[in-house]
Amino acid sequence: MLDKFVKSRIPDAKKLVEDLGKSFDYVSILGTCVNTKRISVSTRINSLDEVDNECGFVIKVYRDGRYSEYSCNDIRGLKAASIRNAVKLDEVYSKDFKVKMLEEQPHVEDFLREDPSKLSNKQIIDRLSAVKDELHKKESRLINVNTAYVKRQTSKIFVSKKKCLSQKYDWINVMLMTVVRDGDNIKSNYSAQGEADSGMALDKFAEEADDVLNIAVKMLDARPVVPGKYTIITDPSISGLIAHEAFGHGVEMDMFVKNRAKAVDYVGKYVASPLVDMYDGAASCLSAASYFFDDDGVEAHNTQIIKKGILQTGISDSLSAMELGSEPTGNGRRQDYQRKVYTRMTNTWFGPGKDKYEDMIKSVKHGYLLCQTNNGMEDPKNWQIQCTASYGLEIKDGEFTGEMIAPVVISGYVIDLLNSISMVSDEVTVHGSGMCGKGHKEWVYVSDGGPYLKAEAKLG
Amino acid sequence: MMKRSEILACLKANKNISAYELNILDKDSRELFYVLDHLEINRAVKVKTVSVKVYVSDQRSTGVSTLVVTAADDQKSLASKLSKAVTRAKAAKNPYYPLAEKKENLKDTGADKKDLNKVASRVAKAVFKADVYKNGWINSTEIFVSRFKEEFINSNGVDHVSNSFKIEVECIPTWSNKKEEFELYKFFESNKEDYKKITEEIDEILNLAKARSAAKTLKDVKLPEDLKVLVKNDMLENIVRCFASDLNYRSAFMHDNHYSKGDKVSETLFDLTMRPSIAGCGASRRFDSHGTLLSPVKLISKGVVKNTYGDIQFGYYNKEEKISGNLPVAQIKAEGVEYKKKPHLIIENFSSPQLESDSGYWGGEVRLARYFDGKKYIPLTGFSIAGNIYEDIRNVKFSKEEGQTSRYKGPKYMIFEGIKIS
Repeated sequence: MLDKFVKSRIPDAKKLVEDLGKSFDYVSILGTCVNTKRISVSTRINSLDEVDNECGFVIKVYRDGRYSEYSCNDIRGLKAASIRNAVKLDEVYSKDFKVKMLEEQPHVEDFLREDPSKLSNKQIIDRLSAVKDELHKKESRLINVNTAYVKRQTSKIFVSKKKCLSQKYDWINVMLMTVVRDGDNIKSNYSAQGEADSGMALDKFAEEADDVLNIAVKMLDARPVVPGKYTIITDPSISGLIAHEAFGHGVEMDMFVKNRAKAVDYVGKYVASPLVDMYDGAASCLSAASYFFDDDGVEAHNTQIIKKGILQTGISDSLSAMELGSEPTGNGRRQDYQRKVYTRMTNTWFGPGKDKYEDMIKSVKHGYLLCQTNNGMEDPKNWQIQCTASYGLEIKDGEFTGEMIAPVVISGYVIDLLNSISMVSDEVTVHGSGMCGKGHKEWVYVSDGGPYLKAEAKLG
Repeated sequence: MMKRSEILACLKANKNISAYELNILDKDSRELFYVLDHLEINRAVKVKTVSVKVYVSDQRSTGVSTLVVTAADDQKSLASKLSKAVTRAKAAKNPYYPLAEKKENLKDTGADKKDLNKVASRVAKAVFKADVYKNGWINSTEIFVSRFKEEFINSNGVDHVSNSFKIEVECIPTWSNKKEEFELYKFFESNKEDYKKITEEIDEILNLAKARSAAKTLKDVKLPEDLKVLVKNDMLENIVRCFASDLNYRSAFMHDNHYSKGDKVSETLFDLTMRPSIAGCGASRRFDSHGTLLSPVKLISKGVVKNTYGDIQFGYYNKEEKISGNLPVAQIKAEGVEYKKKPHLIIENFSSPQLESDSGYWGGEVRLARYFDGKKYIPLTGFSIAGNIYEDIRNVKFSKEEGQTSRYKGPKYMIFEGIKIS
């Protein structure tokens, strides 16, 4: 059910839109309430909190070719004059410039997607504790097991002259971190599940626990990679990391507006091997960024960004789309009600191919299977890559040698990497447990994924 | 939003709560968002964030649960939230630890009366004062000018109030070499109005974008094997934070620390001191989230670990006599060395500087470096560096020039040898 507080403020929002409409050409109000339950069971410290409870409003107004916003805790009793005063600029540095005004289509709708599992705190604690205790029985070098169950219940309303929307959706993440120590040699490994159903997330968490520990132990003997160019097979998480970091940021169309993206010159041209399809959208799959409408009040989309290697389009928030004369794609997102909207990715993934994973491994003369997202960074203007995998498994003559390298940094030029893709597996996995910043701030929940990809890349 | 007195009344009314901590943060900010030198959006933020930690403790164990008070709450709903928090606290028990005791309450009444709009406008002018080049420009700029009032109250009578101020600037400079455009990224924050420094920072990053537009790759130059590698800014801050984190009480309690008191970190005789505040460091603060008033701690003296630091929970677990609190900013003092005459490589800008504290791996893809070949600086791009910080720190050297970030003050460069470049 939609949070009672934001629901109760819909009439207030409508009144404020009407009042502000006398002084401004465009007015919209976003109300948001995110209830987050976090249960952490660990070797040494436990906690059970309701934190990150973001609850507030942002009012967006337009007049004289400029947008202004006001973020506050509540809109009940808030006068239009207070907002006018807060956003008034008596003295400001700016060259003459007029942004266009947003045009909206009428839309009134309520959306709902809730966690079907009704688990008590005790049931969740018991399931987390069972996994932690079992792992400790299996490995004496295991010094810490950290588990966490996080359920976010998001309620939002969007009210403008033409729109009145509400949505409530849940998303659950369950994380496991194992830390092993052999003298001064300390290594850690993790898994993170993201599901719309608590029961499913906890099931997957338990299923993967042994692998998480075994890989952490193996990492104790991992060696650094010898820098060079290698054949790589990326697991779905690394495929997703490449989709997101190497290419996704470059097609965020607020970057097009700022002339910050090389991609703007490549629409309709090959940017990848013809084997490559790529998608983004809150409606592209059910994952961490699957909302019903974005923070501009635009319905969720499924945008095909790359089709058979050719760049089709970017993704956009409403303002960027208007500036560029295109349709918004439902990618306008705020970190929270205190922050500005930017074009942001949602669920970003490469489409499936026709190859079998086993055939891909067999085809490698010497290279690595790169596994598990560590981190990455975008460079949309100059298309340099930095994607880091937690570890890589050596393949020689089509077979795993048992050698592990860790960590592994993929670097180089985006287009070279995407063009080198020569095999694409036939199954796609999307991991719904990530967060993404823009630059070094503005964190939002995202997912990414794809099939296994075979490519050539510089590792270091 | 409920008043502080109303929240405290609700906390006192619940007899199952054995102790509590209340954190209140008032934020008032003005924000300007530019595309080129055109203001696209201005924003005003006036919000209050309130979080409560509810404790259910006995002599052996502490149960704690955090909740957030929002504008949706009134006395009835908060009473219900507190009851649920008590239940949660009972289900998440940890070894006992005490709350901060009342000694001296900080009453920082020096809230400035700055007109935030005017300050933001001055910051914008300082940024665009550097925008004077024909082939280079500031592509986009975001300016945040914020005033904070932070209150901490606990059931032991601790009642602190502090006021702070912060300027944050994100700037994307672009430079054209007529064939292609190149950009870099700059984010910095400060707790003082130093407009000259803002202009200097922007001018420096514009000139680094210029350097990137003329950068060569490793194929074009032959680097000597014993090349000294200099890191600064984000990476330097990451390295300092890695050692500070390792010497936090929490790391020792979690058994994942690499160093203990008496261990030699480095052959170089440097000092690392954690401090509550340093002028110009945006992360400065007076007390931590448990209400402990902060005082400086020298963690490393002449390359040897002398002390650890951290919050009251882990300090109590580790049986520390004097709890320092979680200190936010670091200072290094060391004798600077001369490096300018011999070949060296200054890493100006990483894609994203990486440092894994468990394994010690550090490095990343370099967007811009400047290689000094003995005669001149040559800009380089498109390569990576990698090392192990726990090994590389043993022979680290420091520059004579001073530098500062949001969380660090000290030598501008850390100087390493034997770093893998590929």
